[in-house]
Amino acid sequence: MKESLDCCGLECPAPVLRVRDALTQSGISEIVIRVDNEAARQNVCRFLEHQNYRAQVVIQDGVFVITGSNEGVVDAGMPINAEPVVVSPDTAIRKIMVLVTSAHMGRGDDALGDMLMFNFLKTLKEMGPELWRLVFVNSGVNFAAGDSEAVPILQELASSGVQISACGACLAYFHLLDLLQVGEVTNMLEIVSGMKRADSVVTV
Amino acid sequence: MTIEPIYLTRTVKGGGCAAKIPPGVLDKALCGLDLTVDDNLLVGLEHADDAGVYRVSSELALVQTVDFFPPMVDDPYSFGQIAAANALSDVYAMGGIPKTAMNIVAFPSKTLDLSVLRSILEGGLDKMREAGVVLMGGHTVEDPELKYGLSVTGYIHPDRIKTKRNLKAGDRLILTKRLGTGIVSTAIKAGLASPHVCATVTQEMATLNRVSAAVMGRFDVHACTDITGFGFLGHLAEMVVGSGAGVNISSTSIPLFSEALDWASMGLIPAAAYTNKSFRGDRVDFAEGVSGSMQDLLFDPQTSGGLLIAVSAADAEQMIIELVEAGVTSAAIVGEVITSPVDRIVVLL
Repeated sequence: MKESLDCCGLECPAPVLRVRDALTQSGISEIVIRVDNEAARQNVCRFLEHQNYRAQVVIQDGVFVITGSNEGVVDAGMPINAEPVVVSPDTAIRKIMVLVTSAHMGRGDDALGDMLMFNFLKTLKEMGPELWRLVFVNSGVNFAAGDSEAVPILQELASSGVQISACGACLAYFHLLDLLQVGEVTNMLEIVSGMKRADSVVTV
Repeated sequence: MTIEPIYLTRTVKGGGCAAKIPPGVLDKALCGLDLTVDDNLLVGLEHADDAGVYRVSSELALVQTVDFFPPMVDDPYSFGQIAAANALSDVYAMGGIPKTAMNIVAFPSKTLDLSVLRSILEGGLDKMREAGVVLMGGHTVEDPELKYGLSVTGYIHPDRIKTKRNLKAGDRLILTKRLGTGIVSTAIKAGLASPHVCATVTQEMATLNRVSAAVMGRFDVHACTDITGFGFLGHLAEMVVGSGAGVNISSTSIPLFSEALDWASMGLIPAAAYTNKSFRGDRVDFAEGVSGSMQDLLFDPQTSGGLLIAVSAADAEQMIIELVEAGVTSAAIVGEVITSPVDRIVVLL
């Protein structure tokens, strides 16, 4: 099946989106797109190649006429005429579990280690939606309890969907069971099964 | 009653610093203008620096800049924050301390509710407050396309001005924010960016370069600029051309929004990235293996981008430590100044 689109007068990203919508119909072996600016020409060609179409461009009266064809394109990864792939960071999100085993990061100087660990927790959100579970054990539980400066940071992570928990035995050891400010009390069985379910476990 | 969400980016053609007039075009307009000569004008138009500097006394000079553009995010308050952070950045890039500002507004009062303007101004004001800058006034005109920004005045010591033009062989180049805001903004406009990515990139653009500039002030910095509409390589080219030195960039060390590489490969690239590439591409050699998406990202027009700082190799590691400790967690050493090839940029894998 052939398809034709006139995208003259449209600015990026509109031409790419028009092409994407057109290719969602199944069975399009050839698509002809007219664009009138260089950026749209390059972006549409890129999109076609990204979708495993071969792109050819001719200039007619100052208009770029782009022909995308997938006939004879050998593709190992994607079936021909497959649904266009829209890159979304939220599809098939990996699960990262972070295990914080101490109030300090690394060995050497504890005051430096305190600062580093605080900075680590502050920066953790950069993992984005892949950060799945944050578990505190041993003296690490101090971050989630009492008047720790990390509490608002952890609350923000929790509100963005990160599961936060602190080891119950550890909280009890440091007399913090009644002072937990954020997250759930957890146990070793839950920690171990979490490690099994996670795609990767980061221990600090 | 339901309140309809506002999509500011859909009301304009090109947002943020991508809306700048292309560099080659602007040069033609400025070429041959009969400029006033004044010995106290320490930094003027001739070298296209981030801001102008005028000496008041042997101890004090004024830094002045103006910046405004159409929205690149949908939320009015965030747009106000970003436009203000972007305008203030030029003063920080010169090594100055911003002190006063005036609002510049173009507003379509017939099609947008006044509450939108109010939110924009609140966002701008919050950033001025954070910067210790006092708002003195402003000017508003009716316009079919929304635009907002600031004119900013700051202080600087006449002997401590940081310009673009003083690279020294052996210097390390430090970049303080992630690249890719133009491509991500295009994806936002296309409705493809997740709320998490929108929030992350908005926060990065709204972050003042104040902390980075304060850390920079503790070191003997040789040159500095901020990365905006001409993209990383466009602004780097302004530092390199005429410096008598060359630059090696390590593409794998560049801090970036990782999603931007995927979107670049899909063709979600702002038109200004292509303009930047055609204007400065002849200054740049890409090593084999540097992907097309990475090349586009390095020319991607940035809104309220980070500082690009040249500092001696001996100071570079310590500066990174101090930047990260101060919360500038994206900061990275991205390249070094070399003796040859002169006036060229080599992008390595």
